[in-house]
Amino acid sequence: MSEGTGQLSPEAVGERVRREVDRALKRNIKGLEFLAAGRQEVGAMAKDLVHREGTAMLYRYRPVVDEIYRLPLLIVSPPSNKGYIFDLAPGQSMVEFLLQRGYDVFNLDWAPPRHDESHLGLTDYVDRFIPDSMARIEEITGEREVTLAGYCMGGTLATIHTALHTGPGEANRVKNLMLFATPIDFSTMRLFQTWADKRHFDVDMVVDRLGVIPPELMLGAFDLSRPANRTAGRLHLWSNMWNDEFVRSYRMFDRWAAETLPVPGEYFREQIKKLMWANALVEGTLDVGGRIADLSRVKVPILNIIAQHDHVVSREAASPLMTLTGSEDREEILSKGGHVSLVAGPAALRRLWPLIDDWLGKRSV
Amino acid sequence: MSDKPFDPIATWADMVQKWEQEINSWSGKLTESEQFSSMMGGVTRIQLIVQRSVAEQMEGMLRTLNMPSKVQIEALTERLDAIEDSIDRLRLAVEARALKPGNASPAEAVPVPPEPKRTRQPTAAPTKKA
Repeated sequence: MSEGTGQLSPEAVGERVRREVDRALKRNIKGLEFLAAGRQEVGAMAKDLVHREGTAMLYRYRPVVDEIYRLPLLIVSPPSNKGYIFDLAPGQSMVEFLLQRGYDVFNLDWAPPRHDESHLGLTDYVDRFIPDSMARIEEITGEREVTLAGYCMGGTLATIHTALHTGPGEANRVKNLMLFATPIDFSTMRLFQTWADKRHFDVDMVVDRLGVIPPELMLGAFDLSRPANRTAGRLHLWSNMWNDEFVRSYRMFDRWAAETLPVPGEYFREQIKKLMWANALVEGTLDVGGRIADLSRVKVPILNIIAQHDHVVSREAASPLMTLTGSEDREEILSKGGHVSLVAGPAALRRLWPLIDDWLGKRSV
Repeated sequence: MSDKPFDPIATWADMVQKWEQEINSWSGKLTESEQFSSMMGGVTRIQLIVQRSVAEQMEGMLRTLNMPSKVQIEALTERLDAIEDSIDRLRLAVEARALKPGNASPAEAVPVPPEPKRTRQPTAAPTKKA
């Protein structure tokens, strides 16, 4: 009988049974391999450390083509995550894609902060680490301006930097701003608002006791937002254990999630008090080192990339970039998938990154 | 009746996905309440107090056993990080010095790959929607 009637011929049943038995055997063998395996290797492209300032590490990925765009691209990683998410593996690396399309890619990445760095706050990130990276990029490339990009809180830092350093008398080094899953309106981040509720969360006590905030504290909030994800992930992994590509991908993302970084206490305190409680970036009251980060001063071209099913940074949290900034050249891309799928994975390679190339290429000459 | 033949693995994957969605949605509703915030605040406070007390007791026990404690290992890690940081800075400074014309002897000179030309122009090929 044909499959259209919902019944299978004996041959088709035999074939399916054979396939499932084969997969079951592979699951068992590869399951043992999975348990015995070490850390999954990550990183597709060669890079050099070109600047270091304690927790801040600036890498330059080696260009792979003979002719590149004039403007360098500086990607700011979120302080709580490792930057190799942009360069997971060949075929699913955003860096690999950008290098092949002729961009000169730099990544401001973070080492775990030491206890003597617990005092680092927003000012250090936006007024020191980002400008110092730009100065180093100028030394290497001769270019004063960059396209500044950021992912998640890295995007928030990039936005705050641009708001502070644009306008008459400022450095004006940012030529374009490209943001991935970037929270701006923190009042819409409901789970984090509940978790860090002003009435019940004593941020001063947490920071004063711990100094450097361990990743477990933040991972707890992520787990609360999606408590079934970890178990469901393991079950999906078991179902797909026969599929080498799936397992490799799972292990890379699992390693990245497990290697969440601690953050300096002062940065955490400011993030909670100024961004989460006061929603100061949207309210126009964000004081960074005695200066107000005013979004309306951001007048450079903006590409705001949002994931449709992002449970960490929703569209409402990221879209004020399209209304509160002073730029006349603003574009938003709403991409299928979740928080991480914007910067890693084969789906982004097919659908999203070519759009980024279209937008960025003409603004990088 | 469905047109698709019965596939136990696909049914299992579907079931797991539905379960995941239901649990996540239930948790989303639960975590919206103020009672939850209050509970979380309390848990964090107690966790920190208990953590400190356990850490102090463990510290004493490990000292008696002549074994390194978590605090000592963390201090060691931080010292290694600081040394790594210093080595990176020194290496970068030495490289920068060697790259300056006239500063390095031919034997010390670091081979630098030629910089690509920064003259690339975009190709005009529109791309479809994300």
